[in-house]
Amino acid sequence: MDLPNYLLLGFQVAFQPQNLFYCFTGVIIGTLVGVLPGMGPVAAMSLLLPATFHISPVGAMIMLAGIYYGAQYGGSTTSILVNIPGEASSVMTCLDGYQMARQGRAGPALGIAAFGSFIAGTIGILGLVLIAPPLVNFALRFGPPEYFSLMVLGLTVLTFLTSASMVRALMMATFGLILGTIGLDTISGLARFSFNIPELLDGVGLVPVVMGLFGISEVLLNIETKIKREIFTTKVKGLLPSKKDWAQSIGAIFRGTFIGFFLGILPGGGAVISSFASYAIEKRVSKHPEEFGKGAIEGVAAPEAANNSAAQTAFIPLLTLGIPSNVVMALLLGALIIHGLTPGPLLLSQHPELFWGVVASMYVGNAMLLALNLPLIGIWVQLLRVPYTILFPLIVLFCLIGAYSINNSSFDVAIMLIFGIIGYLMKKLSLEAAPLVLAFVLGPMMETALRQSLIKSKGSFSIFFTRPISAICILVALALMVLPLLPWFRRRRPGISLDQEDVT
Amino acid sequence: MKTCKKGMIGLGLLVSLLFPLGFGALAADFPTKPITFVIPYPAGGSTDVTGRVLVDAAKKDLSQPIISENKSGGGGTVGPALVLAKPPDGYTVGVSSGAVTIAWHMGKLNFNPLTDPTYIIRYTAYVFGMVVRADAPWKTIQEFVKYAKENPEKVTYGTPGVGTNPHLAVEELGILTGIKLTHMPFKGGAECNAALLGGHIDAVSDSTSWGPMVDAGKFKLLVAYGDQRMARYSKVPTLRESGYNMSYSSPMMIIGPKGMSQPVVKKLHDVLKKAMETPEFLEILKKYDMVPVYLNPEDCTQAVAKESEQIKRVVEKLGLLKK
Repeated sequence: MDLPNYLLLGFQVAFQPQNLFYCFTGVIIGTLVGVLPGMGPVAAMSLLLPATFHISPVGAMIMLAGIYYGAQYGGSTTSILVNIPGEASSVMTCLDGYQMARQGRAGPALGIAAFGSFIAGTIGILGLVLIAPPLVNFALRFGPPEYFSLMVLGLTVLTFLTSASMVRALMMATFGLILGTIGLDTISGLARFSFNIPELLDGVGLVPVVMGLFGISEVLLNIETKIKREIFTTKVKGLLPSKKDWAQSIGAIFRGTFIGFFLGILPGGGAVISSFASYAIEKRVSKHPEEFGKGAIEGVAAPEAANNSAAQTAFIPLLTLGIPSNVVMALLLGALIIHGLTPGPLLLSQHPELFWGVVASMYVGNAMLLALNLPLIGIWVQLLRVPYTILFPLIVLFCLIGAYSINNSSFDVAIMLIFGIIGYLMKKLSLEAAPLVLAFVLGPMMETALRQSLIKSKGSFSIFFTRPISAICILVALALMVLPLLPWFRRRRPGISLDQEDVT
Repeated sequence: MKTCKKGMIGLGLLVSLLFPLGFGALAADFPTKPITFVIPYPAGGSTDVTGRVLVDAAKKDLSQPIISENKSGGGGTVGPALVLAKPPDGYTVGVSSGAVTIAWHMGKLNFNPLTDPTYIIRYTAYVFGMVVRADAPWKTIQEFVKYAKENPEKVTYGTPGVGTNPHLAVEELGILTGIKLTHMPFKGGAECNAALLGGHIDAVSDSTSWGPMVDAGKFKLLVAYGDQRMARYSKVPTLRESGYNMSYSSPMMIIGPKGMSQPVVKKLHDVLKKAMETPEFLEILKKYDMVPVYLNPEDCTQAVAKESEQIKRVVEKLGLLKK
């Protein structure tokens, strides 16, 4: 495996003029799509799929891949500016990014998101190149018991997400778990809570829910209180992150990259979970956790780095084994088949230029995105100066269109509006949405993995402890749950409260 | 007065003669606006790609474009349900498959696939097979069955979901041979292939998503479920050839809402049949190891009824039949 030669081959392919063009087109479309709330990379990629029939397979893959990670960049923009997650993986960026925007620091927030994503992307590509095969073998060892334990670990991580009462967070998590049960159950094939509505058979969509919980509810809240223009037109303190911002965020970026790298490769894992996990872990290791949720820049840097590096490692199972780890990858699989390539273990050896060309183009694409997004920051910040009477109806309009465009279904629009109202009520009651979203995402996977494991072990729970990876995850989860209860721990971490009721 | 009356009768006769032409004219005018083609599975999958190529080839013979839309969910039932809710003017059609009939027998469908849709054409079918890891101790399906008989409930197999065709096929095999396997359902083909690769299950029953793995030598194809061997894996016997008197395939058909007019159905059918014969469509089918399977509207409707009986038997034995 002549690594430098392969990389050189990859860059040669990536720098061909037509491939550069496809890369550029892809990342631009991806950014636009990411900025528009609701419409995700999947919709854009499926619309453009027929257009790729007539170009080379490498070019098609480069463009479609560009759309995917371009959307990750774009999704953070609306999260920061107007608290609407353009993508499910941008939800965590809303928490601190929007607060920073309200404090007049939208520029640094957007800047650190762009830089963090770029650094994460670069490191991610290096890792991809160096350890892809052993990483894949490691990922394959994750069977149902390991997934279950990992999800349990993920849910305990939510203890670090909350800034207020643990009881409220658990309430929201339970609500999220219940929401997650709606739809066709994988194991029994029975429909749960679908009320005979066909659209509910696949569950309540994640994207309409987060758009409603975060975006629409914020609009409703703002309409209610007569916010003076000051909040957003506070003197914009510089457009780029300051040295202090960098000093604070660099650790977050590296940690986020690391987390996203490993979680992204797991089928079903991916960008959403990585962003949650990195946010929670960042808060946990921070020296001032009480600032999270109020505009801490690490709270933007970490999830952004995580979701970008997860987006890159998500390609590994597809390109090395032909196994798509999420819906986007499944689409790329279809694209490869249409072009006459069969993705699978043989793809790497038969068509090395495809694998290495895509990998190299990811680096090029990341660089293009950084160059594109930085100058745009100034424009985006100006957007915030638009008076509310015009801005808010526009936001709602884009949300409505975006929610419809996910699946060409007005049902999704209804879901978004319902959750907008629920989110508004939740905010009034100081109930946080983040635990709800995390539980909503993890719950169904956890439940399915639990039951699949029990099928395999014929009902014995010991399967979770006899397999090494699973046992480690569960032990770490237990440790994390117990740790906050220890007295010495409580004294050292004043920002994490267990049962202090929120004082509004 | 008399001439007037005569004139009126004459005019009436003329108009009534022209009347049937009006229906013909309706079909000749059709379509006057774009047609929506509903694909009940997500973009990029085999249903999506083959369906899109088919209607793209058909576009040439129609004066209006056909726009494909993905409405996935419910294991392929949401799409047809949405098509049936539209007016039967021929401007909304979609793909339906054997999965719909299965869902109906399990009580998960809000329409009757035997009487409600207007079947326009059947164009291909999914092919299924069972794979195991390359290093597994069984080299043929008979060895697999023998082992399963001697070790009841020890062998685990994965499928893309409960009540899918690959699942029913293995259960029917179980009924025929008396073996007891443990079923582990997943959400889609990719997940079960990953689990098989990782050694978490013993076998996978699915449509050709395992193709690349077999080609790469990671999986072994034990048996094909259809009536004929697969062109790509001609060394692998079918279930019938291996001594088990059953075959399983899931047809892909194009349907429209109830009550579509005959001329419109005929026009759509003719256009689609021509599209089935284009090289682009045949090429794309080959990529998925599928072959064209043609049935006209009447034959298709009858075939659905016949297949429904077979499906009902298995679903009943599985205990999943709707009450």
